Amino acid sequence: MAVNATDAQLVRLCRAGDERAWNELVERFSRYVYAIATQGFQMREHDAEDVFQEVFARVYDRLDTLRDDSAIRPWIAQLTRRICLDRLAASSKEDPVDEVVVTDGEVVFAELDEAFSVHEALAELTEPCRDVLDRFFARDESYRTIGEELDLPAGTIASRISRCLGKLRELLEGRKVDE
Amino acid sequence: MPGPYLELTADEFLDRLAAPEPGPGGSAVAALTLAYAAGLVTMVARRSRASWDGAAGAAAQAQALRRRAAQLVDPSADVWAEALAALESKSPELEGKLRRSAELPLQIAEVGADVARLAALVAERGDGTYRSDAASAAVLAEAAARVAEKLVAVNLTTGRTDELRERARASAETARAAAAKALASGP
Repeated sequence: MAVNATDAQLVRLCRAGDERAWNELVERFSRYVYAIATQGFQMREHDAEDVFQEVFARVYDRLDTLRDDSAIRPWIAQLTRRICLDRLAASSKEDPVDEVVVTDGEVVFAELDEAFSVHEALAELTEPCRDVLDRFFARDESYRTIGEELDLPAGTIASRISRCLGKLRELLEGRKVDE
Repeated sequence: MPGPYLELTADEFLDRLAAPEPGPGGSAVAALTLAYAAGLVTMVARRSRASWDGAAGAAAQAQALRRRAAQLVDPSADVWAEALAALESKSPELEGKLRRSAELPLQIAEVGADVARLAALVAERGDGTYRSDAASAAVLAEAAARVAEKLVAVNLTTGRTDELRERARASAETARAAAAKALASGP
């Protein structure tokens, strides 16, 4: 259940003390938190791991303070950014030689958010759709190869990809309406 | 070593092409032609959004194919130059180098087949006003695939009938059929 749950359902399960839901919540948002720390704040790996631990400890402690269960992602993003800034400020006091480097924040965070939304929406697609999109866009396979691998006529692959992209777009647009 | 051709202006590229020194040849021109063709397909698909549900998906695929084609513009020349040097020096590595230099035009032929197929789909379903641009893209993609088929065959002359040659031939044939379909799809 936890794996297929929406964000809001997952938060409710976590509040009810469902351990599997907690594991899923960490699994679902771990890349996001890590990406904010490493790409948004240019943190080194071990610092990003510390941020990761601290973020999820705070999520665990303060989940009851979240007013809108479906807003878990922006809430986690805000927590992560605050913790990253605190750590960078603390380390610049300890070692003033080190310059605090924060990249063009809003652009990077918007891109991360978009990538995360696409990743989530892809997970909601049917397996055949996910497979065909992965083969064409991520693995650079030709229509012929995709047709041979999936036992489909090569002449139908382009239309199939377009239909799957249409479904992906619907899912993403649905998310924007929900948010 | 040939420079990154995509960073040149169109005029500079044409000068490099005409120069007697080693530089871009049929392979780079075929790959560049494919990138242009994929660009045309993207444009027609984007202009067809009002009348065709699948237009955005077709545009996204055309952009991906354009990226693949553009990646083939430079390295093909590098590999061919290496094979040429091995041929002149009668190097024992000649066959391996020729085979490697055949793999790049083979990729061009395969991307050519895909661009032509997608162009035919867009010519058939896209906005009628721009259909001729999609058909043009299909014909350009066919030309690139046929050039690439020839280059594969040339690079494999030292060997027997080869799987690479057969794949290139099949890709060129796919592109030819797709271009014919695109041309027949209307004015």
